[in-house]
Amino acid sequence: MNNSFGRIPWLGVLAVVTMLPGCDSVDPPAFRMNMVEAVSYETAPEYQQEIADVLAALFGTPDEPFALPATGLDQVMLNRSAGPAWSDEAGYNYGLYRKHCVHCHGITGDGRGPTAMFLNPYPRDYRPGVYKFKSTYNPAKPTDDDLHRVLINGVPGTAMPSFSLLPGSEVESLVEYVKYLSYRGEMETKLIQYVFDELGVMEKLDDEGNEIIDANGDPVMERIPFDPTNDPDQREAVMDLLAEVVDAWDGANEMIIAPTEDSIPAEKRSPEELLASIEKGRSLFFDKDKGNCYSCHGPTGLGDGQQDDYNNWQKAHKKFLDETAKLAEKDELDDLEASLLDDREEVAESLYPLRNAIPRNLRQGVYRGGRRKLDIFRRIYAGIAGTPMPGGGPSAPGAKAGALTEEEMWNIVDYVYSLPYEPASQPQVVTPKYTQSITN
Amino acid sequence: MLYKPSRAALLLALLAVGVTGCQRADELGPIASASASNTIREALTAGGDSSSSGGAVAATGTGWATLKGRFVFDGTPPQMQPYNVNKDMATCAPGGQAPLQENILVDDASKGLANVAIYVRKVSRVHESAESTDSNQPFDQKECVFLSHVYPFVLGGPMIIKNSDPVGHNTNISGKNGFNQTVGANGETEHLPQKEEAVPVDVTCSIHPWMKCYFLPRENGYVAVTEPDGSFEISNLPAGENLEFQVWHESATGPGRALVLDTPTAKELKWSGKGRFKVNLAEDEEKVLEISVPAAALGG
Repeated sequence: MNNSFGRIPWLGVLAVVTMLPGCDSVDPPAFRMNMVEAVSYETAPEYQQEIADVLAALFGTPDEPFALPATGLDQVMLNRSAGPAWSDEAGYNYGLYRKHCVHCHGITGDGRGPTAMFLNPYPRDYRPGVYKFKSTYNPAKPTDDDLHRVLINGVPGTAMPSFSLLPGSEVESLVEYVKYLSYRGEMETKLIQYVFDELGVMEKLDDEGNEIIDANGDPVMERIPFDPTNDPDQREAVMDLLAEVVDAWDGANEMIIAPTEDSIPAEKRSPEELLASIEKGRSLFFDKDKGNCYSCHGPTGLGDGQQDDYNNWQKAHKKFLDETAKLAEKDELDDLEASLLDDREEVAESLYPLRNAIPRNLRQGVYRGGRRKLDIFRRIYAGIAGTPMPGGGPSAPGAKAGALTEEEMWNIVDYVYSLPYEPASQPQVVTPKYTQSITN
Repeated sequence: MLYKPSRAALLLALLAVGVTGCQRADELGPIASASASNTIREALTAGGDSSSSGGAVAATGTGWATLKGRFVFDGTPPQMQPYNVNKDMATCAPGGQAPLQENILVDDASKGLANVAIYVRKVSRVHESAESTDSNQPFDQKECVFLSHVYPFVLGGPMIIKNSDPVGHNTNISGKNGFNQTVGANGETEHLPQKEEAVPVDVTCSIHPWMKCYFLPRENGYVAVTEPDGSFEISNLPAGENLEFQVWHESATGPGRALVLDTPTAKELKWSGKGRFKVNLAEDEEKVLEISVPAAALGG
């Protein structure tokens, strides 16, 4: 008994000490830097801090988002989406992003939430501002309606569920917040590039713009801080970069692909007309000179053609890993290179395993970007942004025709739509060996 | 007695909690400072300051000048391996010979280094011969090789993308002027690039994944890519101002593949860790540079 009493202070100390630091007292969630970009551009720690501060000035924090009027983002919607999840007495929900999205897409929208590594495909990293399933030309941004559609329908065949049961105002707030995370992520990369391109340790200049020379005859070097507060040129540069980001998003509605009326197949076609169109689509699908679809989607349409390419998100990581490996192989590293290699290896270790972009299996009838014929048409017309899938239409409004006419693209739509219904796509009928015992 | 934990075990558990804490360990990078960001936000929202020069370069001279020269490889040139051609063999590996990679091309006789991009970062004045144009060379591909391994482009008009092969290609351009369209056999298509890039960006073909080249759109024609003998020439440069040149090579180990050099010539030019150097040319001057590139600068 003495023994067990003697234990109590220990248990007490353990309980108290565990509770003191606890897990509730950790700092509030913070946006984290895109380290692949920062380390690729050899961004010094001082600059990393300054970039983080400028980003927080422009966009706030995960608990207190902020949008400059120049962004056109709706502050009220951002406030509703950000911060911890809670509901007021009237049942109005707040902290929507953290309630519905963060576990996959992560606080920063980097697609690195706690569950992300276990999903295939990985959740989207919003930071490059590239979205696959949209109504616009390949390099253009998605429209609000496009993002809305993805939230309502989910992405079939992936872990992304439908949020159609949320009230409309909540979905709209989330669309705004996803755009906000993209603006922030794009801006981060632009600032990292700006700091690399324009700042750094440079020759100190006098008021006339001439180098200052020290006693040894060498130019005096100084680090130019990234400090928009005190440097009007930097301030203007930051606002110009922000305008570039915002303009691209604002222009999305002018980049929507609208098929010409004449090319759209009639609503009621005879079986013969449909078959003829499917047949044309099939020959284009296998035509090396024109559609060339089979080259990636495979002679069977199972997605078993070209399978060793990567999407752009993975390509960026692959490039980073390759360059890191190349540096590690180098015979002699100077101090700068050695510390750079340390930084690179630390970031490389944090990346998820690389995955190839596998062309879609077209025999399943599962279409990630939506199953309307218009959706498939736009996939063929513009390709899929950020992936190896190329477009067959003109590359931009006003550009010359692409490899396929609109009519040919509709033919391919018909063929793609027919693939899941071909006998080869159906589950194979197995004749039970022991029919007798089953029927009895 | 059954549940009695040893004091040592308790202590260990305590230490473990204390040491690991609750934070995830893979979070890298800085966290913004609230006070610093508030100050910056105030400055950014305070409105424009008209005294800003907007980063433009002030014209300080008159007349025009030329920079030319050669990049020469110093070391044993690496043997280029054939591309891993695995489809469309008749077109892409004619006679069973896959084309050789081009990541370090050195001329046997002159040791000249090809495919070095050299271009001016900013200028105050542009000569009419270097102004934006709509007469760029077409971008072409044959035998599943991009014909220009580094393709400079002066913004202003459409970029014609040709396919001189009897098989279909797709041209996938990364960077600020994203493009990914199929180009039919012996066909052509059109891209409308709008934005300058600071360094060349990747161009690939998803159908033939070994195909690779680089695209460098610039706002003016002060850009050159070295010829097979390593030579380059940029003429009609504005004289009398500090011109900063960026030098880039596919295999260079500098940031963004900037070519970083530490040779005596480079030191004379104050070559920077970002692969840049500055010159100030006199009117009608023709400056000639002979730049040696040690194998180590290309990861050798």
